[in-house]
This record gives sequence, structure tokens and C-alpha cells, in this order.
Amino acid sequence: MAAGVSEKRKWPGVFQRLFSRRWWRSLGLLFALIGPGIITSNVDNDAGGITTYSLAGAQYGLSLLWTLIPITVALIIIQEMCARMGVVSGKGLSDLIRERFGAKITVYLMMVLFLANLGNTISEFAGIAASLEIFGVGKYVSVPVGAFFVWWLVVKGNYKSVEKVFLVACLFYVSYIISGFMGKPDWGRIGIALVTPTVSSDPAFLTMAVGVVGTTIAPWMQFYLQSSVVDKGLKAEDYAYTRVDIIVGSLTVNVVAFFIIMLCAVTLFQQGIKIETAKDAAQALAPLAGNYCTYLFAFGLLNASLFAASILPLSTAYTICEAFGWESSLNRKFTEAPQFYGLYSLMIVLGAAIILLPNMPLIGIMYYSQVINGLLLPFILIFMLILINDSRIMGDYVNGRTMNIITWLTVGILILLSLAIVVTSLLP
Amino acid sequence: MAAQTEPQVFLFLSEILGKSITGPEGRPLGKIVDLVATLAEPYPIVTEAMILPESGVRQPRMLRVPAVEEARPGFATASWDESDSRQPILRDNELFLKEALLDKQIVDTYGAKVRRVNDLQFLKARRSLHLVHVDVGFRGLMRRTGLEKAMDVFLRGFFDYTLPNQYISWKYVQPIASPDLLRLKIAQDRLSQLHPADLADIIEDLDIRQRSAVFQSLDVETAAETLEETDPKIQVSLIEDMDAAEASDIIEEMSLSEAADLLGDLSREKAEVILKEMEQEIAEDVKELLAHPEEEAGGLMTTAIIQLPPAWTVEEALAKIRAEAEDMDFIYYIYVIDEEERLLGMLSLKELLTAPAGTRLGDIMDQRVVSVSLDEDKDEIAEQFAKYGLLAIPVVNGEERIKGVIPFKNLLEIVAPHLGKK
Repeated sequence: MAAGVSEKRKWPGVFQRLFSRRWWRSLGLLFALIGPGIITSNVDNDAGGITTYSLAGAQYGLSLLWTLIPITVALIIIQEMCARMGVVSGKGLSDLIRERFGAKITVYLMMVLFLANLGNTISEFAGIAASLEIFGVGKYVSVPVGAFFVWWLVVKGNYKSVEKVFLVACLFYVSYIISGFMGKPDWGRIGIALVTPTVSSDPAFLTMAVGVVGTTIAPWMQFYLQSSVVDKGLKAEDYAYTRVDIIVGSLTVNVVAFFIIMLCAVTLFQQGIKIETAKDAAQALAPLAGNYCTYLFAFGLLNASLFAASILPLSTAYTICEAFGWESSLNRKFTEAPQFYGLYSLMIVLGAAIILLPNMPLIGIMYYSQVINGLLLPFILIFMLILINDSRIMGDYVNGRTMNIITWLTVGILILLSLAIVVTSLLP
Repeated sequence: MAAQTEPQVFLFLSEILGKSITGPEGRPLGKIVDLVATLAEPYPIVTEAMILPESGVRQPRMLRVPAVEEARPGFATASWDESDSRQPILRDNELFLKEALLDKQIVDTYGAKVRRVNDLQFLKARRSLHLVHVDVGFRGLMRRTGLEKAMDVFLRGFFDYTLPNQYISWKYVQPIASPDLLRLKIAQDRLSQLHPADLADIIEDLDIRQRSAVFQSLDVETAAETLEETDPKIQVSLIEDMDAAEASDIIEEMSLSEAADLLGDLSREKAEVILKEMEQEIAEDVKELLAHPEEEAGGLMTTAIIQLPPAWTVEEALAKIRAEAEDMDFIYYIYVIDEEERLLGMLSLKELLTAPAGTRLGDIMDQRVVSVSLDEDKDEIAEQFAKYGLLAIPVVNGEERIKGVIPFKNLLEIVAPHLGKK
């Protein structure tokens, strides 16, 4: 056929190429490099997190609000270390642990992590069931559909598309901020509560405080964050962006937590309404702040649960496969990475099935998964500190002296708190 | 091994590490913390054990292995004097087995995969230990964890199944844990025996540092072929990690269109430096390709093709192909052009080979040449390929002058990027 010069493109080739590729790329650079930190942080506000924040607000009013400030700081410090390790070593956390501490420790660590994450996944499916019940959908419909959606999203998608869906899910957390305004808060009083540390000697109050910390800083997230930093191929020169990503993520997660605690405090706590779950909280909001507030709250819970239910099994499968040298990538087919997809599917199936079993002691399962999380976190934090001070791995990027003091202090406090969670959960 | 009375032929690294070793008169010398092996063909020989004394000065030292015997429990040496030990510094062609291999990643060049090492298996022969296998299986992992027996009881009891061992022969193992290991002369270069497409997959599986180390250990030609098969994002990171001179050597070896795509993805400064380092002729061809968007004909084409005047004979044409094929990206079609590079017709290599030697190209060429314009869109081009069943389509400018050729392979990568890339 003859070659006709097409009329639709009039720009000179060079110019067009520069414009269409470089220009968009430089604009997209920031968006290309952010993601891991924001996603990881937001998954922290999962079903368990929302429940804990609702309870904290409903039972203790504004008095726990101040804990969010130190939690934000601790979250930034811990996540910064993970991201730095990922960027500098190019390896995931479980990879580094395996190479540094050997097979034995790694196998047991992975077993415990699997159980802990399975427990968390179960509570995400419980969140899906609870939130959709508010919209009148029974759990025998919502849970299988939710499980299938989560499985399909990740198995049929690829890293890029999945990350985009996840970033959109992060936006839906806005529903909590909107519902927070619907509670017509008294901002002056809230501002004072935010900066006034209140401590009560009431053991239940302390348990709740510890619970708020524990739900925000969980073992799995260190693995997930580091892997996604590595997966994105971030390099040392991109590190400044990653740090922004982490700080923004840690701030947003706590802004959402702030609005949930605040909303429950100015409505439920003031009316003296007792609640036990996030679903109770959503339902109790209707007469106080309107039906839309209930729907928004429930929608937020659904979004958070689905989001975390997609990420937790994924992160677990990644982490374990990486530690044992099994093929692990969303870009592989099922037959090429059987352990990866097997673990991933197993967690979803178990997580969903356990919710559907009649007479399952859900509260008990969640308690024990909290305990396992609490037991696991100290080990992981200590491993992280050893690794980040190992100059063979980190080169010039090891912790400085000041950073070490700050991190050991933070980690020390977190270890004490997580042990406290374990003790309080085991005591009747 | 301590419990067995019959001498065993094989020994695992996990059965050696952490065992104590005693000197003459049963004096404890310390624990074995690592083994040193000398690279020998076909299998490395363990020459020394690194020992960490359990009391006194906790300074690691190395003990020659032929002096060491198995004892119960652990190991013993009858002759222990200072001359048997040396400072724990490696000589050429030596490696610490635990540090370099255990729990680390290796490339299995037989299966073309990245694996993680769970254990090492030695063969005992004439009082020496040879490293023969690398254990990458689940059984090895359970052995390390101390759960091998429990797993066997469980699997046999419930499924009547025994989990087999999964070994890789040392012949197919390329250690990659540190850049030094890639420099070791193990047999020939094991990595270059892999197909470039497999090498590219392996490189994509590795972390950033290992990627660069493995890539830079390849010879220029293999590196270029591998780079062509690698994901564009990773291509960029590999090239950005190299200095411009090395990078330009590799890019020169790539096909022109691949090279142009890669340079287009690089940062502007890096691309300019590399272009300056490249041979002028190639650099200019690449620049011409760079001027076109990647998904249009101009960006898909290669300029390294054979174009001849119609007066040439078949014999001359074949001689020309023979002389230039090395530097060409596509030789199956020969394009016949006039003095002003206008496309007159084409011939396939098959037609040339079957035609009488003295025939003029102009007499046997096919004048019904399908061509596309420089800014033709990829879907339209795919349409032409499908309709006419061609291996390549020439690209012409507004005056019908030939600018290059799109081989089918280049188009396939753009219209179906997921194929073959996993």
C-alpha cells in the first residue's frame, strides 16, 4: 500500500517525543515514587484499627486523643528504617533476616507471622461482613463475594494496576473525615485534648491506650513496606521522595484515627452509649449524627476491610516466599509460583471460611491474633535494629548515634507496650 | 553423623557448623563457624575450617581440614600446632562457604532460576571433602530447622509420601551474594551459558545491587543480548549504574531500534554522554530513530538493513550480504532502491539464493512493495503485517525514500508486550 502522510500529527517528531514522554514523566515522578508508604500506613486503619479507635472514643472520650501524636512519631521512625533498608539493600526484610540470622529463626518467625496475619485477615473479613450488614447484606453473601473480589483483584491484576486500586482505596478514607464533621465537633475543646496528655491509672484505660498503639504499629507492615519499596525499584537517590511518602502516610493514618476517635467521643461518649464493635458504633451514630453518617462510617469500614484483606494475604505470601527463595511475583503465572499463589489463596479461603462457620469465637480469635502480633513485634523490631546497624548491609546508611538513641528508645517503649498487650490479653 | 557407626559418604554443611572440635588429649579448641573451600574442578575442595574458640581469646582461626577427623561427638584433630592454622583471610580462588552460599541466593544455570540455598552437601573422598551439591529443597530447610523427622512422620503418616531432596549440582551453581563471587573463575563463565532471555528473567528476579553485579559480570555481547530482553525499567536502572564508556560499548552491540528505545528512556544527560561515547556512525543512526515516537513506524524501525541498486547481479548481492550481515539487524529481505533512495522493489533471501547468479536484481524484484509512512501508528502497522503475512515492512518518508525497516519482532514487543515476558 502507498505511504500517505497522516494529517493528525503536526508537531515535529523530536519535540513531540520530548513532550509526550519527558514532560509527563517529570510530572509523574512524584506520583511514581510515592505509594508504598501511603498504602502501608492506610492499611493500618483496617477493621481492627477502626474498631479500636471507635471503642477508644466511645469509652474514654477525648482523653486518648493525645496518644496519636507520639504514635505518629513512632510510626514515622519505624517505617523510615524499613524504607531505608529497602532502598539501600534492595532486599526485603525477610530476605535480610534469612541471610543474617539463618534458616532456623526464619522458619519459626514465618510460622508465627503466618498465624498473626491469618488472625488479622479473619478480622478483615469480619469487618466486611459487619459493614455490609448495615447496608442489609447478609454475611453469607458479602464474605464470599468479598473474598472472591480480593482474590481476583490481585491474581488477575498486575503490580501497577493493583497499586492504583490501592491508592484509590486510600482516598475513600475521606469518608471518616466527612463523617467526623457531621458530628458537629467543638474544635476548641478537641484541640486542647489533642495536646494535653491524660493518663489514668485505670487498667482498662491503659489497656485501651496500648491497644491503640498496637493496632497502628503491626509486625506485618514492616515486611510489606520494605517489599513494596524494593518492588518499586526505588534507589538511594529517590530516597527523599520515599521519606515524604512515609511522613505523609503516617500523618494521614493518624488524621483518620483522630476523626474516628473524635466522632465517637463527641457523640457516643457524650450520650453515654456503650458499644462493642465498629458496627455498633456505626449504628449508634444514626440518631446522633444522621443516617448518612452511619452509611459513611460503614462504607469506610467496608473500604478499609477490603483494602486490608487484599494486602495482608499478599504481604504474607510475599514475605514467606522471599524468605524461602520461592518464586514470588504477581507477574508470574500460577504454575510458575505455586507456593506464592497457594499461600495467598489459602489465607483468603481460611480467613473467609472461618467467619462463615457458625459459633466461631470471633472475639477470642481476634484477641489471640493481637497476642501473637504483640509477641512478634519485639523480635522484628530488634532484628530491624541489628540489621540497620550492620554496615555490611547498610554501608554508609547505618543509623547515626542520635538516630540510634531515638530508635532504641522508641523500640524499647513499643516492646514494653506490646508485652503489655500480651499480658493484658492473657489475663481475664 | 555422630550417632552412626558406618562411615557416611555424604555430609551436610548444617551437620558440620556449630560442632565442637577437640585437639590432642581432648583439649577443646572451639566451634566450627565456617568452612573454606578452594575452587577446583569439577568440585571445590574444603581446605580449612574456621574455628571460634569458646574460651580465652575469642579470635577466629583457620584449621587445615586433612588434619581433622570425625569424632563422637563433633570432630577432633590429633596434631595441633600453630603451623596448622592461619589468619582468617582468603587467598585467591577461595571462598567462605557459609558466608558466600548458605541462606544466600544463587543462580541455578541448569534450571535458569534464582534459588535460595538451604544447605550444602559434601562428598567425603580420601580424607577430603568436596562440595558437590547445593540443597534448595524444602527438606533441606526442615533439616536446618530441626523439623526433618517431624515432617517425615507427618507426611508418611497422613499422605504416605516422602519429600524428596532437591539438589543442584555444583556444576550449575553461580554464587551471586557478593560482586567478588562473580569475579571468581568458576569453570568458564557459567552465566553466559544461559540464554539471554533466561538471563534477563534472572536479572529481573534479583535485587538492585545483585542485578548490577550480575549484569556487569557479563561480556559485552551477552550483556547486549540480555539487555534487549530485559524490562525497560530495569534496562534503565542497569545502564544508569554503569559509566558511559562501558554502557556505550554494550548499547553499540544492541539492535538499533532497541538501543534507540533504551536511550529514549534514559535521562537526557546520561543519554547524551553515552551517545558521545558511541561510534559516530551508530550514534547517528540511533539519533535518527530517537526523533520518532516509540509507538510509530519511525520509532519501531531499524536502519541497519541492506539496500541495493537494481543493476546489481544476484551474485554481487549475495557477496554484499555475506560481508555486511554481521552488522545488520535484518537480512531476510533486500530492498532495491534508485539513486535517490526511492524504494523500487524487494527480494527475499530465498529468492536470491534460488535465482541464477548473473540475474539483475531489477529483473526479478517484486515491485508490489508494501510500505508504511514514518508516523504510521502501531495498530495500522500490525494490520499490514497480518494482511500481507510479511516478516518486515519498510518505512518510507513523504518522498517515498526508504528510511528503515520494521522487523516483525519489534512490532510484537509493542503490540503484545506481555508475551514471553511472564
